Amino acid sequence: MEELDLLKKSWKKDEHTFDQVSEVELYKMLHKKSSSIVKWIFIISVLEFLFGIMLSAALSFTKGDENNLQMIKDWGLYDYYVTSTLLIYAIVFYFIYRFYSMYQKISVIDNTKLLITSILKTRKVVKQYIAFNLTTFAIIFIIVGGFGFYYGYTEGAISKGNLNPEMPLNVMLIAVLVLIVVTAILTFVFWLIYKLIYGILLKRLNKNYEELRKIDF
Amino acid sequence: MSDALEKSFVQQLQANQNIIHKICRLYTSGEDAHKDLFQEITIQLWKAFPKFRGDSKFSTWAYRVALNTAITLYRKSTRTVATTAYDNTKHFIKEEDYNYEEEEQIKLMYQAVYQLNDIEKALVFMYLEDKDYQEISETLGISEVNARVKMNRIKGKLKKILNP
Repeated sequence: MEELDLLKKSWKKDEHTFDQVSEVELYKMLHKKSSSIVKWIFIISVLEFLFGIMLSAALSFTKGDENNLQMIKDWGLYDYYVTSTLLIYAIVFYFIYRFYSMYQKISVIDNTKLLITSILKTRKVVKQYIAFNLTTFAIIFIIVGGFGFYYGYTEGAISKGNLNPEMPLNVMLIAVLVLIVVTAILTFVFWLIYKLIYGILLKRLNKNYEELRKIDF
Repeated sequence: MSDALEKSFVQQLQANQNIIHKICRLYTSGEDAHKDLFQEITIQLWKAFPKFRGDSKFSTWAYRVALNTAITLYRKSTRTVATTAYDNTKHFIKEEDYNYEEEEQIKLMYQAVYQLNDIEKALVFMYLEDKDYQEISETLGISEVNARVKMNRIKGKLKKILNP
């Protein structure tokens, strides 16, 4: 193509037109802070992990409170509570380990496609982590809410003089349904906000990855 | 990192800095953005420098890191404003060489290149730098055949932009 070769000619001549950066200035630049997307992703991911851990800590509120612990024992959930807490922490640490090892693989000297792939994979680990958190949050919310409602109802009945209260099936069903709907809405809203933030942050990476993929289809 | 390493890096970078300037020119518009991307590329080169073994030329290695930074790591949008970008760069041509028509055409070419996407710009950049398709394919992580096909498509696209 004639035009592109014309550009090539001028491209080579243009070499002399750039303001040259001196060695002193280069030294200074080496010690400046990077503002690359990888760094941002790292910071945001660490914040997300912290958020998840804080959420777990908040959900295990029973630890600091004797009454709550007693309540869980009364409900007959104590063993489940201990097992699930241990399980949740094990999974969280697995996610952190996965994230760190993926993050270590990001290398600017890889080819462009590989580099974008490793960044997006690292992001995916954090995304799965958040999905895991939202799911556990939803499950715990429904279980605790369900038990709370059931015991609240029966205790209320006892205080009114009914010594052997039974919760009617339709009340129970409605209660569970309401809980599930509320949880679903909360989780969905959270997920939507999350997708929106990452949609914006990763827009360019996804676009360039798509472009590279299209070339080789 | 040791002072000797730093010195060797700065000297090599200083001698090869036009590579980075040229990438900045394609991917940014305006002096501030140019400087900003230049700085980010310098930081990324320095961070990766301990992995530079010297089995390839510094310039070859720098191409890859610089392009990766511009395409992937640079946070700010690198979309350029087609009408002003070229004028922002200083362009000196000796008077006897000055050819108004050719100059106009080059200007239009630059404007057309600015309308390409990040990946297409990378291909054009390496084409302008006389890189062969093997190197282009290795740098971007696409097959050599498809790099060639894509380059032909880009030429077609540029033609269309120039003669709508």
